[in-house]
Amino acid sequence: MAAGLAMRVRLQPEGLVPLTALAVWQRHLLQNPPHALPPAEALFIGRVRSTTASGTPLQALELEHYPGMTEAQIERLALAVAARHGLAQVLVEHRVGRVLPGEAIVLVAVGADRRGPAQRGCLELLEGLKHDAPFWKREWSGGVGRWVEGNTPLSRVQESL
Amino acid sequence: MPCPEAPGLITVRLFAGLRERAGWSERAVAIGTGQPRPTAADLWCRLGLGDGTGKPEGSLPGALRIAINQTFAHADQELEAGDELAFLPPISGG
Repeated sequence: MAAGLAMRVRLQPEGLVPLTALAVWQRHLLQNPPHALPPAEALFIGRVRSTTASGTPLQALELEHYPGMTEAQIERLALAVAARHGLAQVLVEHRVGRVLPGEAIVLVAVGADRRGPAQRGCLELLEGLKHDAPFWKREWSGGVGRWVEGNTPLSRVQESL
Repeated sequence: MPCPEAPGLITVRLFAGLRERAGWSERAVAIGTGQPRPTAADLWCRLGLGDGTGKPEGSLPGALRIAINQTFAHADQELEAGDELAFLPPISGG
């Protein structure tokens, strides 16, 4: 791990409460000098939509992962992003298992010395999670499960705005 | 001392829709010592994991990714006894 980098990666089989997880992380930083709260911090919280990709009501999202590789791959992604942007802190908490509409599915919190590296690092790490960490979503609707094949590219999301 | 002619084993793992289509999640595959070392593409063919899309035998679907020992790898990387090979359908995290 890069010198001075504080990193925590956790997969949560039970409920993820992002602001509680963030408070626990910040308390950990404060209690473990020389870590401290960063001058710039960027956060992303992702929650489950209420509809499927095809627009039908979503009952639940099921998240499968590759035990061992998923955690290791997130750490590899986080280390690479931290090195590229000079980040001081990285927190990733990601749900696995059954997640209900409205529940948090992912929290990314990135700390840096300036807003630019923090925001760019947070975005880049989130994109890594979406496309390069082994998770698979299955949407349940009307009692039928359908595996989601990949994620929406960020560029397409931007074009739709 | 292990017998030099004894076959080694590669653990093959499947996930998500690929696992459900194949009907299994993990399988040990024997590879003979003294034989050319197989690649992921070889085992994809040997295990009959094609998706019925008419692709040439042994050709991997474009969206499929490979992991060897829990690290992303190329489909043409040669495997060794004791390796864990995983076929990963399109990822949808975050």
